[in-house]
This record gives sequence, structure tokens and C-alpha cells, in this order.
Amino acid sequence: MTDLLRRLSMLDGTSGDESAVRDFIISQIDGFCEYKTDPLGNIIVFKQGKNRSAQKLLVDAHTDEVGLIITGITDKGFLKFRTVGGIDTSVLMFRRVRINGKISGVIGGKPVHLTHGDEAKKLPEKSGLYIDIGARDKAEAESAVAPGDRAVIESEFTVMGDKIKSKAIDDRIGCAVLIKLIREDSDYDFYASFSVQEEVGLRGAKTAAYGVDPQSAIVLEATTAADIAGVDFKDSVCRLGEGAAVSFMDNGTVYDREYYKAALNSGIPCQVKRAVAGGNNSGAVHLSREGVRTLAISVPCRYIHSASSVADIRDFDSALSLARFMINGICGGKIK
Amino acid sequence: MDIKETLFRLSDLSAVGSITEASDLAFELLSKYADTARADGLTVIGKLKGKSDYTIMLDAHIDEVALIVTDIDKNGFITAAKCGGIDLRTLPARPVTVHGKKDIAAVFCSTPPHLSKGDEVFDDISKLKLDTGLGEKAQDIISVGDYITHRTKASTLFGTRVTGKSFDDRAGVVCLLELAERLSGKKLPCNVVFSICDSEELGLRGAKTAAFRIQPDEAVAIDVSFGDGPDISPDDCGKLSGGAMVGVSPILDRRISDRLADIAKTEGIPYQTEVMGGRTSTDGDVISVTANGVRTGLLSIPLRNMHTDVEVIDTEDIKSVCDILESYILSGGVMND
Repeated sequence: MTDLLRRLSMLDGTSGDESAVRDFIISQIDGFCEYKTDPLGNIIVFKQGKNRSAQKLLVDAHTDEVGLIITGITDKGFLKFRTVGGIDTSVLMFRRVRINGKISGVIGGKPVHLTHGDEAKKLPEKSGLYIDIGARDKAEAESAVAPGDRAVIESEFTVMGDKIKSKAIDDRIGCAVLIKLIREDSDYDFYASFSVQEEVGLRGAKTAAYGVDPQSAIVLEATTAADIAGVDFKDSVCRLGEGAAVSFMDNGTVYDREYYKAALNSGIPCQVKRAVAGGNNSGAVHLSREGVRTLAISVPCRYIHSASSVADIRDFDSALSLARFMINGICGGKIK
Repeated sequence: MDIKETLFRLSDLSAVGSITEASDLAFELLSKYADTARADGLTVIGKLKGKSDYTIMLDAHIDEVALIVTDIDKNGFITAAKCGGIDLRTLPARPVTVHGKKDIAAVFCSTPPHLSKGDEVFDDISKLKLDTGLGEKAQDIISVGDYITHRTKASTLFGTRVTGKSFDDRAGVVCLLELAERLSGKKLPCNVVFSICDSEELGLRGAKTAAFRIQPDEAVAIDVSFGDGPDISPDDCGKLSGGAMVGVSPILDRRISDRLADIAKTEGIPYQTEVMGGRTSTDGDVISVTANGVRTGLLSIPLRNMHTDVEVIDTEDIKSVCDILESYILSGGVMND
């Protein structure tokens, strides 16, 4: 399991550039289901189970990750960039980056020795940041990189006790859960989408949900956990090691109440996401066509949208068990 | 010696306080060419005998900017203090190694997006906690006083430009090792002492005691200095790939500075002049006032992103420093001037 997550997380898939992730996922699910890709690059899956389903159910995870897009090259050969998805400046400064999955660079800046007054106490303007690939001039940089190329912040996949640290846990951990569900025997038929462009406005899930036309949906995600030193319990949202987080409401969705209650009463270790914050593909899926009853199951993740995201393997196991329980409950007609 | 390979090996290791990895490797490598001994702390001193009693000390520092554990809470979060000038803004979500009973991977906490207002003030390191992921078990492995270092591995960028941690001043240490190789077995006009010093980042401390021990007639410090970048005034930096930076300053010996520049000019070695108004913030500042005083010069390697784990240098600039110093030593420095 850790190996699957490691392999998924180390792939580079900034929104709109998910092909490496897509190819890997197909290699993992091929032979275990029927699948196709849609015009935006979503993988649409039909998983045949032992029994026909009472409800047409879509289980979704997104393949993209937050990253950078190169916008220009300066006369001296430095690269200008914008962020793709929300990345805080504090986790961008002085990071190693990888462009197009192969070219190394660093986000450079003024060393602290040369700052004046309170300059070193505040974050710089994001627009002033630049990438240094070691090119001596513009021509050398242009031989390797062009505007529109994508980059990710490099990260070592590290095991820290029960926890793992990596980039792209949001949402390769959801992809890993979904791959597991597809590779194992299922009691019931269900549909799945590995969707693109979540981080730039839930775009892949919109067309995936339209194409599948489900009655119900489960969105597998990573969500912010602030169970860290210096943050009060009330602000912690959810806590690592205490199971998958189930949402009642976030900035995109008011979740189906019956599904929410069924998840919490499942007997599987899980926790309530204790905040109306963030959002995920549910925001697009639950409004598809005439509307879709939707549940979000999220793995708690510290430092989300940084290259040092931290999640707990036990919460992955909880998310997998809970997703399986909900698929069987919804498709078997036991959860109304 | 393969300059890049040696730099990468040294850079990937740690050296601060009781963590001696890089210092051990420097000792092993220098021992191949010079009569080498450990001095106090991390300091390594190697000697090559020459034809006269005149002694030139070549200095670089082996220690790196780091942090030190000041508290471990029951949930496995660490509070730390700085060992050297680290920009607090660079720490959130930064992966590091905690050198406890065994080496532990940890990451600095970053403010979760739902709590971030974008107006964070970075003025107090005790507010920046480290996450070990180990919960209460952290207290069994980690103690107050343990060191914390960057864990990024060195890597190649375009051409001869490379990135990694602790190039400040492992790049200088590589110069010393390369020079030891080039000069060993040669007839030298004077003694050469290679001094790979501890605790520069805590206030030039290792060089102070090393210089006292060596009591050289003259010294050249080899360190890194600011490389160019879009947000840095050209007045404040040298040019990456522009060659060795020859230091000129009131605290440096002008004849050494001139001689270093003359050699570069005469032999066509790339160099640039770095003028400072007083102290240089290098070991040169303390070596020069050791005992009765030591005539001191300074050569610097331009480096971007100083004191981060994404420092960038051009290995050709290391080579320029070595080329200048090889001729400088073989011609006896300023022993006749």
C-alpha cells in the first residue's frame, strides 16, 4: 500500500498535465475493469461486481496536483511562473522544482543577509519569485523550457513512523484507495472516475459526472488537518490517526445527510470533518444534471498543498474500509 | 579529484556541533595528500612541508547552518533554535533530519490553508514547530540539544551549475582538497597548512583557535559570497560563473589581494573583484588578528540562495579559485613581498 502511494505521489501531474498519472493508473487497473478516457483526460471506469447495483454509483478521485506553470523567461535566463492551484508563498520560497518531469531548478531569492529592516519577517510578493535552472542566459533556458511548461516542487517520499510525507498526497491517496477498490472483487457494480483539473475548479469531475450520469457519488479526497502544535483543537478540523474524515458541509457542497449518517454509524473508525472549509469534486458532482446524492470521504492531511504533506497510513485503511462499506450499502440498497 | 563528485559527497553529509559526518570525510580525503590531524571540534588540519619555514594557511569551514532542539512535546512536535543565520520564512514545510539517537526525518509545520490569512510574521523561531510524525515516541529518540540539518541531496542543474545544501562552505573545502592533491609531491617554496574549520556560522570560532594553533605567516580564506539574481542589486553580489571573487577590504592584506588578481590576469583565469568596506564575514576576519597578526587574503566562490538547501554554484568557479591558488602557493605567496 505504501509502495502504491509512493509510486503515485512521485509522478508529476500538475492540473491539465495529468498524463503520467493517468498512464500509471491505467497500468494498475487494466484487467480489473472496463475503462475509457474522455476528452478532458478523465479515466472513466465501469467495475463489474458480483451483483447488479440498486443505484448507479460514481466513485471519484482526482489525478491532478497543485504545481507551477512557466509564464516566461527573463533576459538572464530565469523563469517566471504562476501557481496552478493554491500554494502559499511560504512553501514556495527556496524549493527544488522539477519541470516537465525532468529538468531540475530551484526557486531562488535574496539571501537573508541582504534583506533590510523587516523585509525578512514578511513573505515576499509571489509575483517576484523566479526559477533558476542554472541557465547562463535566455537562449540556454529556451533550449530546455518554454512558457506553458509545468513544474512541481520536488519532494522525497519519507516514512515517518505510522505517517508518510510526500508531495501530491492530495489526491493521489484518493487515487490509491480507488485503485484498490477496482482491483479487488466487488459485491456490486459501480462506476469510477479518476478526474483531472480538480485544483483549478473541479473541471474534470464536471464532465465525468455528466458522462456517467450517476444517482449517487462518493468523492475520495485528502483534506486539511491542523492537529499540530500551536493550533487549538477547535481549529484542527480533523486529526491524523483517527480515521477518515466525513464532511457534512464545505465551501462547495452540503452533503447528503443520510449518507453522512450512514458513514458515521458504519462502525468503521472515522471522524467528522469539523469545519466548513475547503471543497472538493463533490461541488461539481452533486450539481451534475438533475443532481447527485454525494458523500466525501477524506484522508486527513497536514501541510496540504505543500510538497511536505503528511498523512497517516491508518487513515488510508479507514478510508478504504469506509468506501467499501458505502459502496455495498448504497449499491445493495441497504443505505437509502 | 572529481570536483563535482567530492562536493556532492561533502554536501550530502552533515557537520555541526557533535555531528561530524562531513568533517570525517574531509579528514579521510585530506589524509591522502597531507599530514593530517583532527583539532578541536570539527576542525581538520593538514600540512605539506616546503623548502622554507614560511607558512601559508589556507582556510575553509566545514560547518553548516543548522538548528538545535530546545523542546519536544508529548505529541512529537519539536521546538528549535537556530545555529547560524537561517531565514525563518524558508522553514515552513521544509524537510529536515533530526540527529537523535538515530537520524529522524521531520518537517517544519506550515500554517494550514484554512488558518492562513497571508499576513504571517516570521519573527520568532519558537513559533515554528517541527513535526516528527512519531507522537509520544519522539521523546524516546530525540533529546534537547540534538542537531537538526537540511536533508536535500545535491543535484546537477544546467551545464556546470549545481545545487544542494551546505555548499557554504563545502565548496571552499573542496578547493582545499583539490589544492592538496595538486600540490602534494611538488617542491613547495613554503609550508602549506590546510585548515578545514569548525563553527564559522556561529561567529568564526573554529578559525580563531585553528589560526592560533598554526601561527601562519600569511593566510587565504576561501568562502562563498553572494551570487547574482533578479532581486539582488549588482552592487551586492558577484556573477555566477564569473570566476573567483578576489576580496579587497581594509581588513585584508592589499598585496595578497593584488597578487591573487595578478595571477588570474596573467594566466587568463576568470576572476572578479569583491570590494568590502570593512569586515568580510568570513574566517579571514579572525585569522588576520590572530596572535601578532596574520597577513590575510580572501577568495570567494559566487553562490546563490545562501544558507538555504537550494544553494547554487558553478563548479567552474571552484576551479578558478584552485587555479589561482595553485600558482599563488607555488610562487610562495607574498613571502618575498
